[in-house]
Amino acid sequence: MADASVIVAEVMFGVVRGVLLGCVFALIALGLNLIWGIAKVVNIAHGEFVMLGAYGAYFLNLYVGFNPLVAAPIDAALGLGAGLAFYYGILHWELRGKEAMTLQSEMVTLVATFGLSLSIANLANLVFTGDFVGIPFDAGSVELGFMRVPLAGLYVAALSVGVIYLTHVFLTRSYLGNAIRAYSQDIPAAQLMGINPTAVAAIGIGVGFAVTMAGGAFLTTLFPTGINPYMGHLYAPISYVIVVLGGPGRMWGSLVGGLTLGIMLDVGQIFLGVPIAYAVAFLTLIPVLLLRPEGILR
Amino acid sequence: MRVPAILKLGPTVWGIAGFLAVVAVAAPLVPTFLLTILIGLLVFAALAYSMNLIAGLTGYVSFGHVVFMGTGAYAWGYVVGTFRWHPFAGIAVGAVVGLLLALGIGVATLRFRGVYFAIATLVTALAARNIIIATPALGGGQGIILNLGFEPLTWFYTIWVILGIEVGVTYWVTHGRIGYGLRAIKSDEDAAKTLGVNATRLKLFVYAFSGLFAGATGALNVWTLSGVFPDAAFDLLFSLQMLAMVIVGGMGTLLGPLLGAIVVYIPHTYFLTVAVGAEFIAIGILVTIIALVVPQGIIGALRRYVPALRGIVE
Repeated sequence: MADASVIVAEVMFGVVRGVLLGCVFALIALGLNLIWGIAKVVNIAHGEFVMLGAYGAYFLNLYVGFNPLVAAPIDAALGLGAGLAFYYGILHWELRGKEAMTLQSEMVTLVATFGLSLSIANLANLVFTGDFVGIPFDAGSVELGFMRVPLAGLYVAALSVGVIYLTHVFLTRSYLGNAIRAYSQDIPAAQLMGINPTAVAAIGIGVGFAVTMAGGAFLTTLFPTGINPYMGHLYAPISYVIVVLGGPGRMWGSLVGGLTLGIMLDVGQIFLGVPIAYAVAFLTLIPVLLLRPEGILR
Repeated sequence: MRVPAILKLGPTVWGIAGFLAVVAVAAPLVPTFLLTILIGLLVFAALAYSMNLIAGLTGYVSFGHVVFMGTGAYAWGYVVGTFRWHPFAGIAVGAVVGLLLALGIGVATLRFRGVYFAIATLVTALAARNIIIATPALGGGQGIILNLGFEPLTWFYTIWVILGIEVGVTYWVTHGRIGYGLRAIKSDEDAAKTLGVNATRLKLFVYAFSGLFAGATGALNVWTLSGVFPDAAFDLLFSLQMLAMVIVGGMGTLLGPLLGAIVVYIPHTYFLTVAVGAEFIAIGILVTIIALVVPQGIIGALRRYVPALRGIVE
């Protein structure tokens, strides 16, 4: 039996790390949530864009020397382009002229993005090779009582919350944001108000991808050697769980879901070991869907 | 069964039966290399029919279908490795475990529709892999390594029998009361319920069959590999391949999964030799295009654009 104070210290450190991790997870999940909430499409290739964001940060570091915090806005710009290409290249085929999402369309987009996910991950494996790589980024650390918290982690967590806040402001205060929300609620009514549904959906999804890829860049500071072509297979399911926890279409829900999952994972690892902690985190989705399908927030 | 009832089986059934008969006769005659390719094709076809039972007939896309394959494989590895049971008995155990798991997962997740079902099954498969890794009795992260020897003909006839039963079950399910109920669920579940279709029971029924066949096929698949490894047994790429075959062939049809298996398996085997992962790049692009452009698959497109074939292919 380990000393009780050691366990308490470990749990406290797990909570701190879980909060830092949860903020970045929340940003990644926000990208999925935007696409899910706006177009009612669950992007199975979501994890692949997290991976591309991480590789973007890696190559910017390798060739230009940028740290992940500087690389994130560049990643976001690339993500905006990727989102527009994703909308016009794939979703537009299925959603064009549709007034509401049907189960049939849902299935088609699921399968199409699943195919995309496979192609991107394996293409990345060919181009980037399957080696695990990382970005050396150490901004020092700060003493918090008896533990040392890496400053880089604090920066990315704070920036993640900042981006989530900015997205919230964009969606609720700007004309374009309101148009996007109108589109997500009722497409024919939005059209009657003079909103171009195609443009609005494309921009909304572009913002979603921008946020996702920036999140991929932030993630590299928390997992210093975790960049790999197949990393998306882990972050996509994490994002699904977070979005379902917070409630699809609720932007602040992502933050709540992300923090919940981050703390669950990091504290769970202490008692259950890594594989079981992840299994429990994934399986949480089923009781949440059964009991609180609108998310854990009321 | 009366003779006219047999004669009433359509040309599609005779076609599939003919295909199975030809490969069964050809198997002992072809070179071993070709036989292993044939075994791979039948494994793919068996997986496709398993996915077709749930995704094709009810429209519930089971993204984590590999979980049945993986648990079937582990059940096989456990009883064969630990208790020294005969591999055939192991396959039966794999099938039963697949069935029971499908009942368990189905009770919890079949009430979710559309994307929610897809995501719920996906996370189940990921969780199952992690639980296996943390279970020392099942070899943990190392897996179970067995050395049972190379018996391609036995493997071939085993998967041949599994596939034959599967096609029979698919025919039985689609050509009767159950089939009408399932089609009603696929087009509008609420309306179907209003008309007295017991949707919950029907969905669970086909899902259980689907899990049974995926478990048996997964068990056979690891027999051909002589070992069970967590990352290979629960590889989500299997889920995609199953979906790809059903989508390409035609959802919910009798011939579609077989056609889809052939169309997906040939490039899969060819691109294996080109570069690492090239087969998945090709399949991924193919699936994306087919899902967006011809979501009814080959069979659906044929029935739509070639009216003469409507009475023949199903």
